[in-house]
Amino acid sequence: MSSHREAPAISKDPVADNTDTYAFVSPDDPDTVTIISNYLPLEAPFGGPNFFEFGDDVRYEIHIDNDADGAPEITYEFEFQTQVRNPDTFLYNTGPIDSIASPNWNRRQFYSVTRVENGHRKVLARGLACPPCNIGPGSTPRYEALAGQATHKIARGHTVFAGQRLEGFYVDLGAVFDLADLRPFQNLHIAAMAATHGVNATHDFGVHSIALKIPKHELTRNGSTPTDPMSATSVIGVWTAASRRRAVIREAGTGSMHEAGPWVQVSRLGNPLFNEVIVPLGDKDRWNALPAQADAQFLHYVLHPELAALLPVLYPGVFPNLAKLTAPRADLAAILMTGIPAGIVPGFQNFTGTNPADQLRLNMAIPPTRKGPSPLGLIGGDAAGFPNGRRVFDDVVTVELRAIAGATYPLVNKSYTPDAAAALVTDGLGPNATRYLPHFPYLGTPKGGYQTRPLRAA
Amino acid sequence: VSDQTRRAFVKRSAGAAAGATVLGALLAGEADASTSEPVVAYVHDGKISIMTGEREVTVRDRKLAAQIVRAGGN
Repeated sequence: MSSHREAPAISKDPVADNTDTYAFVSPDDPDTVTIISNYLPLEAPFGGPNFFEFGDDVRYEIHIDNDADGAPEITYEFEFQTQVRNPDTFLYNTGPIDSIASPNWNRRQFYSVTRVENGHRKVLARGLACPPCNIGPGSTPRYEALAGQATHKIARGHTVFAGQRLEGFYVDLGAVFDLADLRPFQNLHIAAMAATHGVNATHDFGVHSIALKIPKHELTRNGSTPTDPMSATSVIGVWTAASRRRAVIREAGTGSMHEAGPWVQVSRLGNPLFNEVIVPLGDKDRWNALPAQADAQFLHYVLHPELAALLPVLYPGVFPNLAKLTAPRADLAAILMTGIPAGIVPGFQNFTGTNPADQLRLNMAIPPTRKGPSPLGLIGGDAAGFPNGRRVFDDVVTVELRAIAGATYPLVNKSYTPDAAAALVTDGLGPNATRYLPHFPYLGTPKGGYQTRPLRAA
Repeated sequence: VSDQTRRAFVKRSAGAAAGATVLGALLAGEADASTSEPVVAYVHDGKISIMTGEREVTVRDRKLAAQIVRAGGN
């Protein structure tokens, strides 16, 4: 998936597993940027009695590079604290939760937001309430309004939400991981079957999101609100992460543990699918432990992606030009590692220099597309979408499949003719507008546990 | 490891280590917190990493490191 359970170590630590990162100019508040960082993959809505929550022992982070050096100039840190009202019951709630202050909600979470800018720490807010998970009509009636109470306006024009959301990322997991037999094209696959529609494996699942809306002038290197898409100051690099303390001591016979030492990163995410399908198994855990500015050592995986070599094998005769393409994939390096320089796509750039780093690069001077945004983003003619940042509904699976299949190589070598299939390949899914909100926090209302049938095909 | 033992170990480290100044500063700040915050020592490659709170100090003292390893039964 985008980055759900994408590496051996973090797949065993879901509370710290950074699954998706989004960064876009807020469509209903275009002087701001919204960054969303998701954790806890594949939350089954009925997963009680200990419903999903952030880790009190995890530090969640949003990083922003605004001077193109690959390192963060601004970091937002989020730390959580769980409070149990009544430890003498097994119940998550002892009655209906009709407000986030309800005495019936037994296990609540609160958090702080700290902004670190060039080494200076500023706590923006403390004691912010999370919403409960969506349990069902008996426990969390009017869930959407309940969750709305957990959107907080905090210092310096920021707005924040942290809690359960409906998974916004859509992908046919069953097909992708079954040797990439993409259902709409599986008649052409080596294990040929009749072509059919894609299946969204994430349809009913929830995720835990940290959404932060930030005034643009809080993000630029010079404090300006960017208006010129061709200016370097208009572009920021964004990635998110999770860290744990270096040492943990488990006290035998008590169920308690102690932590000590500095925070060390255990998960991160910039571009979707980077660690998932670009980085090989032997390097995935190390990649998660490194900062984005150390990514030069992974550049060769981008220049020679394994999947580009596999597609012609899995789909015999479908990708003949891709099979012959052995040159380093400078197109993918631009999309994923440096941003796209001026002069490639008319009127657009999100270049952050030649230091390779896996970041979402957002040109904040590109206004949001209000009418008919393309989920294919830039390759769909919509410069407000991926890989210019990433919106919640962008079809990043199709975009990256097509890019790896050679559709974007002519950007750097006009003599190359992509295979016809490169412009068509997809897992057969698209965004469902009912899964998103037109306003902050943009990801939709999570499914209720009571209302969800396990593993219903979608 | 009891708190008494832990404190004794850290004091011994401070006395023996080349990084005693840094460690001493760490300990000075830690004196009141020793009963509420654990001190974790990680011995590796002849070095001792001492962690408490969000801090970590590395002491390079092969003799002390060897003593700790032996005390652990190795």
